[in-house]
This record gives sequence, structure tokens and C-alpha cells, in this order.
Amino acid sequence: MTKNRQLIIPAVILGIVLIVIAIIYWVSTANGLPSFFPGHQAGSSTHHVKHGIAAFLLGIACFVFAWFQSGPTRSTAGTAAK
Amino acid sequence: MHDLISYFQAIVLGLLQGVSELFPISSLGHAVVVPRLLGWNIHQNDQYFLSFLVAVHLATAIVLLGFFWQDWKRIVLGIGRSLRDREITDADAKLGWLLVVGTIPAGILGLTLQDPLRKLFASPTLAAFFIFINGLILFGAERLRTHAPGAPEDEPDEDNRIADRVSWKQSVSVGASQALALIPGISRSGVTMSGGLLVGLNNEDAAKFAFLLATPIIGAAALLKIPELLGPQGNGVRSQALVAAICAAISAYLSIRFLMRYFETQRLTPFAVYCTLVGAALTIGFILT
Repeated sequence: MTKNRQLIIPAVILGIVLIVIAIIYWVSTANGLPSFFPGHQAGSSTHHVKHGIAAFLLGIACFVFAWFQSGPTRSTAGTAAK
Repeated sequence: MHDLISYFQAIVLGLLQGVSELFPISSLGHAVVVPRLLGWNIHQNDQYFLSFLVAVHLATAIVLLGFFWQDWKRIVLGIGRSLRDREITDADAKLGWLLVVGTIPAGILGLTLQDPLRKLFASPTLAAFFIFINGLILFGAERLRTHAPGAPEDEPDEDNRIADRVSWKQSVSVGASQALALIPGISRSGVTMSGGLLVGLNNEDAAKFAFLLATPIIGAAALLKIPELLGPQGNGVRSQALVAAICAAISAYLSIRFLMRYFETQRLTPFAVYCTLVGAALTIGFILT
């Protein structure tokens, strides 16, 4: 995997934003979501738990990506990591 | 009281699920079409039927996990090593992360699109039509298959061959293609095997990559819906679901054993023929009746 340290901070910020979005999905009803959120529905008392899970998983993926980008850089990374 | 699903129906649907989930012929499509063919009053979008399906999906996922248990142990250990070293240096870790990046798009698309697509395409006629389309996809994949550079065919370990030949972008594409299987009639294993062939895997490796990719998705989808089976929506179908799950586990185990041997030497073509012929015949039959 090619390492690019400039991507670490954006990935961490994006990860935090996505985790926050996940929490908003879990605690708010569809009516209480900001209107620009997918799933917003006026007058609905539904919780979009699945949307929250999706945002949470993406957030975790961003953190994992940042973790690998912050790792040591070697000249020979092995044949498997192309 | 009249049972929502009889034990006979549960046995048939369980056996059917175990086979059709792993054979590239679409379990969802057959779950829509077969009740109509047999004249059963079961509909894909009935809440009790969705709860019933949770058990058979969970059984299939457990069988897949058990069948490839040694591979999963290597994969999880590889992922652990790579996280510790912050570097992906071996084939087990690479395969593990290929499965992760392939599962994320499928999971997100599944979480957000499953319900609307299921409602939109739940009619037997549409399911039959998409079984026909699934056949064309399988034909196309065999026709357009490529031979990617990477580990030689005589490399004895399938996991190493997959890790060496599949790139990150290709894994995302193959994984995302699983979302097509949200449409009843399109097979999850069919589209992922097809994707594997298109990125240069042989049939055996494409099948294994498809089964490894399917395990977390099927398992997670079933686990997410377990509360429905255990809650009021599962009333009246829980014991039938247990019977169906046992039948699904048996047929899934036999199917995967057969398929892993079959794809050592054979291709997708017979399944493509089955899907196109059966899909076309059923589509015409349903339209006319």
C-alpha cells in the first residue's frame, strides 16, 4: 500500500465527522434529523439505525486508513502488499 | 390455528436456501419464485417471512464460517499483525483487508438499499426475469474472463493466489457488486464469482473469494435482524425457522463441498444455462398466467 502522510489528518477528521453523524442517526428520530441528511422525514418517529451503522463503519474505515498511513515506510514492503 | 408456514414448507425452503445461496443462481429469486410455482400463500415482503429467512441466512453464514475456519483464523491473525505493524506485509493480511474493503461498500449499500429494492422487485415475474439476467451475467463473465499477472497457477495456496492477483480497487468493485444481489434473481455468489473471473482469478479462486466475501455480509445481515425473529414479528414461525435453519445448514454444507471441488476443473456455464432457460421460461409463464 502506498503511504501518503498528507492524508492522515483529513482521514481522521472525516472519521470523526462520520462517527458524529452515526451518533446523530442513532439518537435522533427521522423528524429530528437535519433536512440535508438522507432519511430525514418530517413527522416520522423512526430511528434510522442502519444509516447510523453505515456511517459508523465508514468512520472506523477512515481511522484504520489513517493508522496505516501513519506507519513506517520501508523500501521493500513485500510482494503481498502491492 | 393455521400455521403461517408449515413444517413441510420450512424444510423445502431451508433446503432450497442452503443450495441457492451458494450456487450462483440467486436464493432470493428462488425464494420468490418457488412459493408461487408451488401455489403457496407466502410472499417475499410478509414480515413473518422476512423473520423466517433470518434463521436460514444465519445458518448459511455459520456453515460458511465453519467450512473456511482455518482460512478465517489465518486472515484474522494477518489483520491483527498488520494493525500492530501498521503495514500489510503478508498474503493473509492482504486477503483480510481485501475482504474488508470489499465488504464495506456492499454493507453500506445493503444497509441503505435493502428494504426499498426488496419492495420494488418482489414480484415473481420480475424475480424470474432477473434470474434470466443473472444467467446472462454468468455467460458474460466466462466470455470476458481475463488472466491477471501475479502468483502462478501452480502456487498451492488459494489464499496466496487471491491476495497476489486482486488489487484494492478490484476488491472494492467485486465487493460492491454484491449489492446487485439485493435484487431478487441476481445471485450474490454469481456476481462476485463473475467479478473474480473478470479481475483474473480462476474459477476455484473466484469461488473461494466469493464465499469469503459473502460470509460477513450474510452473517451481519442475519444478526441485525435476529431481534425481529425473537420479537413479536417472529411469532408463529420460530419453530419452523429452526427446522428450516437445520435443513439450510445441511444443504449449504453439501453445496459448498460440492462447489469447491466442482470449480477446481469446471466453469460457470452450466449455471448460466440453467438461469437463462429457467428464468426465460418462468418469465413467459408468469406473464401468460
